[in-house]
Order: sequence, then structure tokens, then C-alpha cells
Amino acid sequence: MSLLRYSAWRVTQALPVLVGIIAITFFLANQIPGDPVEIMLGPTPAQEQVEAIQAKYGLDRPAHERFITYLTGVATGDLGTSIYYDRPVLEMIILRLPVTLVLMLSAFAFAIITAIPLGVISAKRRNEPADHVSRIVSLIGVSTPSFWIGLVLIIVFAFHLGWFPARGLVLPWADPADVRGAATRFEVLRQAAHHLFLPMIALGTLQMAQITRIERSSMVDSLQGEYVKLARAYGVPESTIVRKHAFQVAQLPVITIVGLGLSTALGGAVLTETVFEIQGMGRLIITAINNQDYELIMGTTFMFGVAYVVGVIITDIAYAYLDPRVTYGDE
Amino acid sequence: MALGNTDTDDVPAEGADGPDEGAGEVEARVGMRYTLAQVKRDTTARIGIYIVGFITAVALFASIDYYILDYAIAEAILYDPESDPDTVRRLLPPFGMENQFGQGVLEHPLGTDHRGRDIFTRLLYGTRVAMTVGFMATTIGLVGGTLIGAVSGYYGGWIDDVLQRATETVYAIPFLVLVIAFMTAFGRDLRFAMIGVGITAIPVFNRLIRSRVVSIREEDYIEAARAAGVKDRNIILRHIIPNSFAPVLVQATLQVGVSILIVAGLSFLGFGAQPPTPSWGQMLSVSRGYMLPAPTFSVWPGLAILITVVGFNILGDGLQDALDPRINN
Repeated sequence: MSLLRYSAWRVTQALPVLVGIIAITFFLANQIPGDPVEIMLGPTPAQEQVEAIQAKYGLDRPAHERFITYLTGVATGDLGTSIYYDRPVLEMIILRLPVTLVLMLSAFAFAIITAIPLGVISAKRRNEPADHVSRIVSLIGVSTPSFWIGLVLIIVFAFHLGWFPARGLVLPWADPADVRGAATRFEVLRQAAHHLFLPMIALGTLQMAQITRIERSSMVDSLQGEYVKLARAYGVPESTIVRKHAFQVAQLPVITIVGLGLSTALGGAVLTETVFEIQGMGRLIITAINNQDYELIMGTTFMFGVAYVVGVIITDIAYAYLDPRVTYGDE
Repeated sequence: MALGNTDTDDVPAEGADGPDEGAGEVEARVGMRYTLAQVKRDTTARIGIYIVGFITAVALFASIDYYILDYAIAEAILYDPESDPDTVRRLLPPFGMENQFGQGVLEHPLGTDHRGRDIFTRLLYGTRVAMTVGFMATTIGLVGGTLIGAVSGYYGGWIDDVLQRATETVYAIPFLVLVIAFMTAFGRDLRFAMIGVGITAIPVFNRLIRSRVVSIREEDYIEAARAAGVKDRNIILRHIIPNSFAPVLVQATLQVGVSILIVAGLSFLGFGAQPPTPSWGQMLSVSRGYMLPAPTFSVWPGLAILITVVGFNILGDGLQDALDPRINN
């Protein structure tokens, strides 16, 4: 099977999971106590108004019928209408998703760029001081709540030192006219980086720590491999062994852990967005919940699931692409 | 090798623990007594035990005071915010520091919160919520995941397919989002936080147990038990699950830490322990409003979470090292 066909097969495999996600979110949304109509119209609405709203949002029909309608809606790209914002759910998601994606991507970039050297050094100098430092850093990293890192960063770097802004985010592709204090594209980019720095560290630290741990143990394994011993016996310089022989093989488990870390990071985005008052998907779901906006709750939960599934598919395909041993399942 | 009878689990037996074990005679790596003996030899695991033990003791003390004495100890010895409303000192800094609200005093070593309550005492009492939630959520995940994983791996076929697709689906929704949605539907208090976080832990234990079961299922002694007419349920409960003890114990220890982190996050967002119950996440949530005038208020609850989770993580890592035959030998 070619890589392309493997990718297509992997996407098809994800479809039942997506339907499952919709079923779970639909079930949970239906359990939410309280009447959405009451929230919209107040405690004593006129009967005609209630009926009109119920008909508009399909609330007068039985649950299984609404589920089928919702499912076909999702299949055609219709996630319903947000009661709170009075706009299509999909429109709200398209507005907010890029913010969360920028945050996630920068957090993972930060995590990977710092974790790989840390892990490699740690493995190369096993049980030396550098290794101990790197292990302590990663232990603290996996044990610290991301939102607390955010609070401490704000206190130190925003309030005390005044180096970075404490809240908000500027998207790199924003129109300079819409960004306060920015006249050119370059200034927009500078502001984007400036705003992104603290949230990126808050969200990325856990991933950094997890990747460092797996990078270390994976490199330790790979440095003990037969091929490394052989290369040493041939007199290949140690730096070449680490760079060319051990490193590449050791990256496969790292990809897996990046894929698994997506779930934590997407959840962490909700917290990071709260701490830094960033208007992304995380804030959207909290707003939806606080206003009992059913369709928006379902839509955002579903999109979080989709983001995770897409992320896992991408890491699976990257794995298959990088690992010559993977046979794409049919040989 | 795995033993046929769980009653003799801590008696050394010969053979290999799992399929990846090398040849030669090794002790049976199952059973509580063996585990304890191994852990005592491992320095990291010991430090983990000290931290976890200390926090558990504090949590027990706080629970007794809360359930039996209705905070009598806290108010009599440690502090009483309502003793004199006129002299309540809000947002005091830690002892030896100064801020706009005054000078830190020794009776409030870590300072006071926005209502003048002693932060140190609230941190101590916050252990109760953290530990209860950590242990309960892990237990729910452990029991649920073990049952699903064991049944799924033992029977295989369509049962396996259905159960595995279902847990995969649960796992596909980022767990903080799933728990928030779950709590919105059923209730925002601590009970549902525990259940919600427990549900998100089910796939983790399911995967672990299932892979063990699949590898143990074909072992000779299971065949023998089946041929002797032992019921499936007894084979799973008496042979397969006890033989997965070591990796499950490691995972459960780590999971307590993870659960504490998730619940702290939930409380920070307003889901979980409701005021006035002291919980670290909720303290952090409140402290957000006073980051500028009283920055140290935000520091302590986070440190408490950090130390607790570090304790569980090094205990888990230490257990893993102690119980992993490959590292041991």
C-alpha cells in the first residue's frame, strides 16, 4: 500500500470515532439541566414565543430524531446555531480555531525545540550532572499545573518586569489596521510573538517535559543498539554515531508521545486561554457552558475531538513515513 | 513466570515474567510483599513514599477535623477568621515580607487570603480534597479499565472490537473538555469531578490490562485451568488480573498525580470544590484577582500541587524501576 492509500485508510478508520464523539457530546448536552428557551426568553415568556423558538431550534422533537438531524448536519458542515451569539456555530469556530491552533503549534514548537537537545544530552551523559538537571527539569515539568506556570509567568514577566503583555493574543496574519500600535506587517508579527511568548511557555512546558523524558529513554536504548556498537567498533567518531546512527531511530517514540500529548495540550489550551484571557476555542467552550448554549457546547466539544483525531492521524502518517519498518498494514 | 495460584503469589517461582523476559531463573514479580521489598531498596521510590506519606497524613488529619470535629482543630489551634471581624487582616504577605496591606506576621507564615484566612492552614486542608479526588478518580479508572481490558482481551472477537472502539472514542475527546462537558451535564461539584476524571482514566488502564491479558491468555497454565474446568470469570479474576499487578500499580501511582492536576485545573475553571471548601485549584482561581497587589497568594497553592504530584511521580518512577526485571538485573 502506498503512503497515500495508507493515509486515506487511516482517515476512513477515524470516521466511526467521529460519530462516537458526536454521540457522546449529544448525549451529554441533552443531560444538561435547565431549559435553553428559558435562558433565551427569561422566566415568563409568552407561549407563542416559546413555540417559535422550540421550532426554530428543533427542541420540540424527540432526542433520536434530533440526533439524526444533527449527524446529517455535521456531515454537511452544519453544526447548528449558537443561541448565545445568534450566529452559526461553525462561524464561531472558524473565528476562534486559528487562535487555539497558533497557541498549540507554538507550544509544541517550543516543546520540541527545547526537549530534543535536553533529552539527547541527558542520554549521552547518563548519570552525570547534566543528566540530573535535565531529569529534574522534566520531573517538575510533568508535575506542574500549566495554569499555575501561566500565573507565575504573568506575575514575574508581565507585572514585575514588564517585559511581556499579561493578556490577549495578536494573530500573525492580522491586518495592521486592526492591531493597536502596529503600522506595518513587521510590527504585527513582532506583537504576535510578544503576546505569544508567555502562553506558549505555560502550555508547552508539560509537553517539553514529556518529550524530554521519552527522548532520553529512547536515546539511551538506541545508543545501546547493536548497530551503534558496530559503528563504535569501526571507529566512527562518537558525535557522528549520536547524530547519524542513534538519533534518527530514537525519534519514532517521540512522535508517538507528541500524538498522545495532543489531548493534554488541547485541554491545557482551555486553561491557558483562561489565564491569559485569549479568545480561542477554550474560552468559547467555557462561554458556551456558562450560557447553556447547547449547540455551541456540542460543536466545540466535537471540534476538540476532531482536532485530536486529526493530530493523531498526522502523527501516525509521520510515523509511517519515517519508519521504514511500517508496512502500512497489508503485507 | 506468572503463578497459577494467587494465594502463593509472593513465593518465589521459576520462569519468566512475561514474553520479553530473558531465560533463566528469576523470582516471581508479583505480590505486595515482594513489591515493598523492592521499593525499599530504591532511593527515589523511598523519597516518593516520604512525600506521599506525609501528604496522606496531613489529608487524614484534615479529614478527621472536617468530618468528625467540624473544623474544631483548625479554628482552635490554627486560626479563626471570624474571631474578631474588625481585626481581620486580608491579603497579608508571608512572614518577613511587606506589601500594601501590611507586614507579614508569624501567626500567618504564608500570609492571608482575600478574606483574611490563613493561607498555610487552607493549604493543609486542601490536601483532603486533592488526595480524595486523586485516589477516588484513580480507583474508578482502575476498576473500570481493568474490567473492560480484561474482558476485552480475554474474549477477543466482537466483544473486544466494540469495547475498544468505545474506549478509543472516549479517549478522543481531550479529557479536560470531556470532564467539563460531563460536569455541565451532571453537576459541577466534586463528586462529578471525581467520576469524570475517573472515566477519562479508564482507557489508560484498559489498554494496559488488555495487552497483558492478550499475552497471558495463551500461557500453558491458563490452558490448564481452562481444561480443568475453571470458569472464565475465575480465570480472569484469580489468574490474569493478579498477574498484571506490577504495571498497574505503577500506572495507578502516576494516575493519582495526573488526576490531582486535572482536578486542580477543573477547580481553577470553577468546576469542582465549591467555596468555602479549601482546594488548591480554587485558591489559585481566587488568587488570580489579586496577582498585582498580593503576588505570593498565587504561589503557594501551585507549589502544594507541584510537591504532591512530584511525590506521586517519583514514587511511580521508583516503583517502575524496582519492579522492572530488565533494570533490576
